[in-house]
Amino acid sequence: MSQVAALLIALPLISAFFVPVLKQISKNLIKPYLVLITLVQTGIAAWVFNEVYSTGKPILVYAGGWKPPVGINLYIGHFAALFVLIIAIVSFLMAIFSFKAVNIEPIDKYAMLFLLLMLGATGMIATGDIFNLFVFMEITAITAYALTAYNKTGEAAEASMKYIVLGGIGSSFFLIGVALLYGATGTLNMAQLAEFAKSINPVVAQVGLALIVFGLAVEAELFPLNAWAPDAYQAAPHPVTVMFSAFVVKAGIYALARLLYLLQKASGWSSVLRLLLIMATLTVIFAELSALRQKDVKRMIAYSSIGQIGLVALAFSLGTQAGVDAGVFHMVNHAIVKALLFLGVGYVGITLGGTKLENFEGLGRRMPLTALAITIGAIATVGVPLFNVFWSKLRIILATLNAGFLWPAILVLFASVVEAVYYFRLVHRIWFMGTGERAKEGVIAGILIVLAIIVVAIGIDPTPLWNIVTKAGNDLFNVATYIKNVPLMGVGP
Amino acid sequence: MLKRILAIIAILIIGYWLAQGLANVPFGQDKMLVGKYYLEHVKDQTGAVNAVTAVVVNYRGFDTLGEVTVLFIASTGVGALLWRKKRKRTAKTEGSVVLTTGSKLLFPFIMLFGMYIFIHGHLTPGGGFPGGATIATAFLLMYMAFTIYEIPHKEFEVTEGFAGMGYVLVGLLGLAIGGYFLFDWIWQTWHLGTSNIGRLFSGGFIPIIYTIIGIKVGTELSGIIDNMLKEEVKE
Repeated sequence: MSQVAALLIALPLISAFFVPVLKQISKNLIKPYLVLITLVQTGIAAWVFNEVYSTGKPILVYAGGWKPPVGINLYIGHFAALFVLIIAIVSFLMAIFSFKAVNIEPIDKYAMLFLLLMLGATGMIATGDIFNLFVFMEITAITAYALTAYNKTGEAAEASMKYIVLGGIGSSFFLIGVALLYGATGTLNMAQLAEFAKSINPVVAQVGLALIVFGLAVEAELFPLNAWAPDAYQAAPHPVTVMFSAFVVKAGIYALARLLYLLQKASGWSSVLRLLLIMATLTVIFAELSALRQKDVKRMIAYSSIGQIGLVALAFSLGTQAGVDAGVFHMVNHAIVKALLFLGVGYVGITLGGTKLENFEGLGRRMPLTALAITIGAIATVGVPLFNVFWSKLRIILATLNAGFLWPAILVLFASVVEAVYYFRLVHRIWFMGTGERAKEGVIAGILIVLAIIVVAIGIDPTPLWNIVTKAGNDLFNVATYIKNVPLMGVGP
Repeated sequence: MLKRILAIIAILIIGYWLAQGLANVPFGQDKMLVGKYYLEHVKDQTGAVNAVTAVVVNYRGFDTLGEVTVLFIASTGVGALLWRKKRKRTAKTEGSVVLTTGSKLLFPFIMLFGMYIFIHGHLTPGGGFPGGATIATAFLLMYMAFTIYEIPHKEFEVTEGFAGMGYVLVGLLGLAIGGYFLFDWIWQTWHLGTSNIGRLFSGGFIPIIYTIIGIKVGTELSGIIDNMLKEEVKE
C-alpha cells in the first residue's frame, strides 16, 4: 500500500506530459486543469502526511522494486511528509493565483513548467539517494531558469542568465562532490553513505562536503552565491516568485542539511559546519542591509526572504538537536509568511500596475483586506510576539547561544532591528500616507486572509505545530534512526 | 592583467585542493560495492546483456525518468522563451544540388540507424538518448540543406507528450502488477523472453522504455532545433 506514495512523483510527471495533448483539445482548459492536478496532489500529500504521522514510521518507496543500495529509494519520513504537503498546498494556491497573474503566452508551456517545478522540489525532499538528489535538483533548477525568464522582458532575461550561469557552476561542483564521495565509498545511497561516514578518508570527506555545500548554496541562496536571487525574484511571474521563496529554496537548504547531518561522523565535519555558520551569518547581515534601501517592494521582500533563509542555515549549522528543530520550525513559518507576503505584493502589483513603493501609498484605503494581510505578514516577519515567526526566531537565537556562539546571535539580532525599520516603513506607507479609490478584491484576498489567520493562530498557540516540527527535526538530526529505517541489502565488501 | 593573474592563482589553488581530494580516492582498486552486485546479477535479474543500460533503465530507472524530464523541460523552456505569435524560417541561401540530394538520400539511413541504436539498447552500446539524438541529427540535416523545410510541430509536440506519458504509464503498470513504481513486470512477473537472453526479444521492459525514450528525445531535440532556427515575422 505504501508504494502508492510514488504517485507524488508520477502524478505531476504524467500530467505535465499530458499538457501538449490537452492544448490540442482546448486551450481554455489548461488553467482549470492546473488547479485540478495540484488539488489531487494535495490530496495524496495529505494522505501521506496522515499515514506517516499516525504510524510514526516513514514510508519507503522502492523504485523498480530494488532494495537500496542497488535501487533508488524515496524516504518519506516526518520531514519529507510535512514539506511535501506544504509544497502541494502552496502549488494549489498558486495555480488559483495564476488565473489572474499569468496572461502572457504560451500558457501551456507555463503549465508544464509549473507542474515540473512542483515535482522537482517534491523529489528533492523525498529522495534517499544522492545522485537522484542531483537529478531532482536539476529538474528544479532548469524549470526555475525557464520560469524566471518567462515574462520575456530584458530584465527577466538578464536575471535568468545570471541564475543559469551560477546554477550551472553550482551543480557541477555538486556533481564533483558526489563523484568524490562515490569514489571513496562505492555507494550512492544516503543511508549506506552515513554508515560509511566514519571510514571515509578525512581529506576526501572535507573536499567532497565543501564542494557539496558550495554547490547547494547556489540553490539555497547563501551569501557569496546568492546574487541571482533578488533579480530572479523580481523578474519572475508573481506565482513563481511565491514558489521560489516558499519551497524551492527550502528544498535546497534541506538537501544541504540532510547531507551534512548524514556525514556527521566523518572527520573534518565540524570545520565544514563552521564554514556554513559564517556563510549563514553573512547572508543574514548582507540581505537585511540591502533590503533597507530598496525602492521596489517585491525586491525588498526578496532580500528579506534571503535573510530569513540565512537564519535557517544558521540554525542548521549549529550541529545540535535544538538548532535543527528551530531551523525546521522557521522553515515552516517562513514558508507561510513569505507565501502571504509575495502573494499580497503580487496581487497589488497586478491590480495597481507595478510593485514600486509609491504604489503602496494609501493601500489601506484602496484594498483594505490585502493591506491588512500584508501588514500582518510584515509584522510577523520582524518577529513581534503573538505572531508565528517570533517563536521560531526566539528558538533559533536561544539555540545559537546554547551552542556557544555569541557573535552570530548578536549579529542576527541586529539584522532583525534593520528588518523592523524597512517593514514598518512599508506599513506606515500603507496606512498613513496617500489616498485613493476603493479597488475590487476577489478570491485572492480571501486566500490572503486565511493565510494571515494561520500566521496569527500559530503565533498564539505554537504548541501543535512545534510538536510536528520536533518530529521532523528529529528525522533530520537523528541519523542512527534514519539508517535503521532503511533496510539495506547486504552488498558489503 | 591583475584580474587575470588573480584568477589564475585562484584556479591553481582550487585545482590543487581538488587534486588533494582526488589523490586520496583509491583509483583502480576494488571499491565496487554496488557495482559488483550489478555485474554479477545483471543477466538473470534484468535480461540485459548491456550492464549500463540495465543500470540506467532498470536498477536506477528513476534517474532516467528524471533525465527525460530534464530534456523535456529544456525543450519546453526554449519553446516558452522563443514564443512569438508568428514565426518563420528566414534562411536565404539555397543549398547546392549535391547537398540537397545527398541529404535527401542520407535522411532514411540516419533514421534507420537511430532506430537501430535505441531498439538494441539492451544488447549493444547506446540506448535511447544516443538513438534519439541520431534521429534529431537527421532532421537537423534537412533543416540545414533546405531553406523551407519544417517539421510538423503539432504532431511532434503531441508525440512527445504521448511518449512521456508512455514512460510513466509503464512505471505505473509496474506499480499495479508488481507492486512497485517502475517495476519490470515483463521480465519479473511475466517472465517473457527469459529463455533467450542476448536476442532481440529479451531484456524485459528495457527495449520498450528505450523505444519510448528514443522517440521522445528525437522529437524533443528536433523541436529545439526548429524553435531556434525560426525568427519572428513582422506584419
